[in-house]
Amino acid sequence: MATTACFIIVSRNDIPIYEAEVGSAAKREDAAQLHQFILHAALDIVQDLAWTTSAMFLKGIDKFNDLVVSVYVTAGHTRFMLLHNPHNDDGIKSFFQEVHELYVKILLNPLYLPGSRITSSHFDTKVRALARKYL
Amino acid sequence: MDPGTTPLGKMLLEEITPVVMVLRTPLVEEACLKNDLSFIQMLSPFCTFSNIDVPVRTSSDQPYRLQKFKLRLFYESDIRQPNLEVAKERLKQVITQAGEKDNSELCSDPPPIGSESEILPSWFEFFNKELVRTVSFSDHEAFDHPVACLLVVSSKDEQPINRFVDLFNTNKLPSLLNDGAMDPKILKHYLLVHDNQDRSSEKATKLLTEMKNTFGTNDCHMLCINSSQDGQIEHQDSLWAPCKSVASPNQHLGCLLNIDDLNEIKDLMQELSSKHIIPYMEQKVRALNQQVSATRKGFRNQIKNLWWRKGKEDTPDSPSGLMYTFSSIESQIRVLGDYAFMLRDYELALSNYRLISTDYKLDKAWKRYAGVQEMMGLAYFMLDQSRKEAEYCMENAFNTYLKIGSSGQQNATRCGLWWIEMLKTRDQYKEAATVYFRICSEESLHSAVMLEQASYCYLLSQPRMLHKYGFHLVLSGDRYKKCDQIKHAIRTYRSAISVYKGTTWSYIKDHVYFHIGQWYAFLGMYDVAFTHLLEVLTCSHQSKTTQELFLREFLQIVQRTGKTFEALKLQLPVINISSLKVVFEDHRTYASPAVASVRESLWRSLEEDMIPSLSTARTNWLELQSKLLPKKYKESNICVAGEAIKVDIEFENPLKIPISISSVSLICELSELDEMTSDTSHSATELWNDEHKLLGDMSSDASLFTLSEVDFTLGGDETKLVQLTVTPKVEGSLRIVGIRWKLSGSVVGYYSLESNLGKRKTAKGRRKPKHSPGNDLKFVVIKSLPKLEGFIHSLPEKAYAGDLRHLVLELRNQSEFSVKNLKMKISHPRFLNIGDHEDLNLEIPDCLEKKTNVEQTDVPADSKKVSHGVFLFPEDISIEGERPLLWPLWLRAAVPGTISLYIVIYYEMGDASSVMRYRTLRMHYNLQVLPSLDVSFTISPCPSKLQEFLVRMDVVNKTSSESFQVNQLSSVGWQWEISLLQAVDAIFPSQSLIAGQALSCFFMLKSLRKSSRTEEKISSLSRSPGSDVRLAPEGNKDALFDICCSPLADFHDCERLQQHELSNQEDTNTVDFILISRPLKSDINPGTSDAPRLFSHHACHCSTASASPISWVVAGPRTKCHDFSVSFCEINLRMIIYNASDAVASVGINTHDSPGGNVQLSDGNTVASGNQAGWHSLSPVDDIKINSDVLGSNVGKSQSPESVSPFIWSGTSSTRVQLEPMSSTEIPLQICVFSPGTYDLSNYVLNWNLLHVNNEENVGKTKQTSGTSPGYPYYLTVLPSD
Repeated sequence: MATTACFIIVSRNDIPIYEAEVGSAAKREDAAQLHQFILHAALDIVQDLAWTTSAMFLKGIDKFNDLVVSVYVTAGHTRFMLLHNPHNDDGIKSFFQEVHELYVKILLNPLYLPGSRITSSHFDTKVRALARKYL
Repeated sequence: MDPGTTPLGKMLLEEITPVVMVLRTPLVEEACLKNDLSFIQMLSPFCTFSNIDVPVRTSSDQPYRLQKFKLRLFYESDIRQPNLEVAKERLKQVITQAGEKDNSELCSDPPPIGSESEILPSWFEFFNKELVRTVSFSDHEAFDHPVACLLVVSSKDEQPINRFVDLFNTNKLPSLLNDGAMDPKILKHYLLVHDNQDRSSEKATKLLTEMKNTFGTNDCHMLCINSSQDGQIEHQDSLWAPCKSVASPNQHLGCLLNIDDLNEIKDLMQELSSKHIIPYMEQKVRALNQQVSATRKGFRNQIKNLWWRKGKEDTPDSPSGLMYTFSSIESQIRVLGDYAFMLRDYELALSNYRLISTDYKLDKAWKRYAGVQEMMGLAYFMLDQSRKEAEYCMENAFNTYLKIGSSGQQNATRCGLWWIEMLKTRDQYKEAATVYFRICSEESLHSAVMLEQASYCYLLSQPRMLHKYGFHLVLSGDRYKKCDQIKHAIRTYRSAISVYKGTTWSYIKDHVYFHIGQWYAFLGMYDVAFTHLLEVLTCSHQSKTTQELFLREFLQIVQRTGKTFEALKLQLPVINISSLKVVFEDHRTYASPAVASVRESLWRSLEEDMIPSLSTARTNWLELQSKLLPKKYKESNICVAGEAIKVDIEFENPLKIPISISSVSLICELSELDEMTSDTSHSATELWNDEHKLLGDMSSDASLFTLSEVDFTLGGDETKLVQLTVTPKVEGSLRIVGIRWKLSGSVVGYYSLESNLGKRKTAKGRRKPKHSPGNDLKFVVIKSLPKLEGFIHSLPEKAYAGDLRHLVLELRNQSEFSVKNLKMKISHPRFLNIGDHEDLNLEIPDCLEKKTNVEQTDVPADSKKVSHGVFLFPEDISIEGERPLLWPLWLRAAVPGTISLYIVIYYEMGDASSVMRYRTLRMHYNLQVLPSLDVSFTISPCPSKLQEFLVRMDVVNKTSSESFQVNQLSSVGWQWEISLLQAVDAIFPSQSLIAGQALSCFFMLKSLRKSSRTEEKISSLSRSPGSDVRLAPEGNKDALFDICCSPLADFHDCERLQQHELSNQEDTNTVDFILISRPLKSDINPGTSDAPRLFSHHACHCSTASASPISWVVAGPRTKCHDFSVSFCEINLRMIIYNASDAVASVGINTHDSPGGNVQLSDGNTVASGNQAGWHSLSPVDDIKINSDVLGSNVGKSQSPESVSPFIWSGTSSTRVQLEPMSSTEIPLQICVFSPGTYDLSNYVLNWNLLHVNNEENVGKTKQTSGTSPGYPYYLTVLPSD
């Protein structure tokens, strides 16, 4: 079954530092910008919710038509945002947790400036592998 | 807060009011139209009462007073559900009109977010009202049902009384009354309209009495209008303005109505509402309430009702079919509720709505249920209690409306709008926005407006949700675009840009800017479109097709305007500022562009000895310059008029598609010298302004300097390094401001170097705070100067080691001024040597061949022209005009590897008045040297002869393909003589060394040195002819080469110097060899190198020293015939001892007559064979050890008791002599032999030690100062003579 999933890591300054289309659905030309729009708009909701709960994982905080936004907020207020179909939300939490681990590893790299774009191809392949596993 | 004062409250008080149906004759309308007003329009301003003050008593006994009240008047034809299509058309018109209105703002920059003027365009309210009205007069709700009927007949009508009856009886009555949705028996009111312009009112009054008689006194009225005769009465515009939206300005609405008429209308309406309508409604509410209480209130009734409903459950649900007539209890309850609502008795209304809603729900009459829920929500709101309940009701109603499908859509919209207003009142903007979002239907235009309103809700919410705001604006804009409302689309996107400005969400940015640009272009506003599309050009993240689309659209817009655009912010291609490199020539000039990339420090070190030192320089040109130029420019770079400044910069194409770039050039500013001094004060402050001005018009400066233009195409993701030049023509101050280029031949882009450089430098940190970045781009242009151009002809890039070539350096001076005092320095004299001027026309092998008339007396002449490695050209040489100076150079590829040859030529201006007195020309060549022949020499002293040495030469051809013919081996210096040991043919059977071949051959080296005068030797070493051995095959006619002529000897000196450093050994007993070879002719590809080539290999400082500094030879007869019968044989021998060290040696010889053994031939043989192979060098320690071992064994073996020594040493058994350095002496020895045989005369020992005469320099060295050497075997055969 074709699923849509767009994963974006947003730095604390609302700048996307990592983007990946991890869904299996066929790519549409305007999908990329629509996904960005939805996730970008969801930042407002995250802003509201993030401080009301101690949980890092915020499930299904926003939706647009049939797409749902789930967010994982790290302690440094970096946000992992995932746009997905509502039916496949089982593995999302695990997905986020494992991506968080990867992200922490990226942060530990002394050459990585926090808040800058993640260009590591290793990170990219790992994230995509996780997406295949959980989403 | 009073709910009545809120927007929703006001809206409800306006919209949910009693409806009065107006039936009139055409003549009534005619009379009214004289005022440009319809009858209803004329009355409508007076239908709203702000202070009617009527006591009302509904269900309770306590009356309350109504203050505000409103009647809605409708013609009978309008009381029906509006046509959906018409309504849509009308809405569209509203939107289009609104779009046209704010046309002027379109091109301005988007206002900052949150400024009050921008929030909520006013037409939203109007639009919403229109939207709500599209669902009026529905049969499922009663508040739109006419409460009363106003029958109007003109006094001009014939038989007015009959007309009144006819009006109500016609079939034109609305369907609501006819199909039983409402009670047809409604309150009727009769009105006679009299036009005062027609005739006097007498007849009208008569008619009125007639009416009163017929219809009852209370229900009849007369209205006189158009009392004004001249028609010039002015009214406040506001009176009818809301009714007539498109009033033409020259019309005077109500021009015939004077104040009396107005008062009359006012009184009429007041009376109608307070005396008739309100009491009627009151009455009806009371009546209905009683009825409802009787049938539905109380426990019993409820049970009964429930049971009854259950029974009805089976009936098919038909939402379209009319289930409830006006007489049904449900309808009556609804009417009761609505009447109560209209009379502001919300408690009563709510209780009735509640009562009925369960019924409708049980009946599955969903539309009615939703309608009741909606009213419940409103009633809750108006009561200002239980917000949650109110919202729940609204949501319930909304969902129910949506559930019933398309027919409920309109109602859902209305319900949603009310709900939104309710939420807005409570500042729940976020929730309101989601409701707006839910209202969106498939109909794009409608949802566009809703989405836009939603976006404003997000903006108004606390805290502001800008991301959502932007998103919904974009959504809305897309829908506007779908409906061809481009202006609205642009408006929304423009607001969205204020959110997305500078965003790093690349796809969002591209989408917004691209579409708004496209739309502006659609409207023909190309300038604005252009600026917006500029933003999306560098979209490296997009797919190739998208990039193509963006670029195509952009270029189309540019084309459509038909002019070339100038864009300050054109991002295509990207200029890599860090790649900026400025190459200019002040006193340093470069032979080729590549030379400039060499490190400055390297040149500095080379030039050190040549250029005038700083102290002397200050007295001449620097000071001269500081006088000439103002202080400000002292730090600036200096360049010369007429000479190009080169700027290298990288252009990068971020796209995947190729782009064509043309007319790339620098933007420069050249101010002439005199004006420059005057405007120094303000130039700094106005720098940036100037720049902008300058970017605009700069072509005017063409007379001051020339610029190069470059055209190229950048492929996808390609980076190109482009060299741009500017050549100033006059003196002054030149500033390189920026770069301009043309994209696809139509868009001109500018790039300011200074500002970008500044940014870069400051961002980098304060490592060099003193260095101001702009200085790199500022130049002081001085008067044109001569400039030398240098070139070395036919310098190869690749050569085999040892390759010796003749090169020519060509120096040109294009200007008419001459230059003089030329000096030259070469970084690697080992590789490149300066020849004599006479050598210019020499050919390489010929010039080196040994002449028969050898005249090399003046060879050392060039040692004086080179001082500190600086070559001074003859002073009479000056270069000017077209005549180039040619100078020979010798190249010899000394060692394998890659070598950078740096050459600096210094010259002074012939014209002393010029600002710069000297310049240097820098040249740089790279030479790759491949290994060719590897030559090594091993020298060991000849055991049998003093002063003679055996030389083993190992030659390996290390090339991969070349074959060499070895021509000649020479030893350098007069004191050595080399000679062949074998025939040449035996050494080189194949006459050449093919690739990879290794060969060893042996030579005899003889020292001709007699004197011990060291200084003489050293001085003579430099320029002394050596001895040569021809190694070429016999058939070769080539002459021997003269190793003493200039290039070979010069290079040999360099080699000596170099190899001396390597070996670092102070040994005087060294010999230098030069091996000269030539590539085999057959191997030379005739196409590539036609000149015969020559290779020379130098091996210097080959040590001749052996283990000990003392060498000796025993000389004497080898065979002797003696008649032993006569006597024993006495044989005289001589021992020649040579001291090869530079110290005085004391040598002692001890002979011992131990049995040496004539019979031990086998032993002797081993020693001998050992000695034969002993030409290899052994370290002194080893040598001694082995020798002592040999000695020990000899001694041990010779201890055989039975033997008697067959010979004895006669004469002195121990001698000691003193030997001067480098000298030899001869000692006589004698032995006595007693019987014939072969004897080994090795049983002697030489003890030597060096007396330290001048050993200061030898202190650190591990040189032997004393030692003991056993004797050599010396075989003597004594034969008995017969």
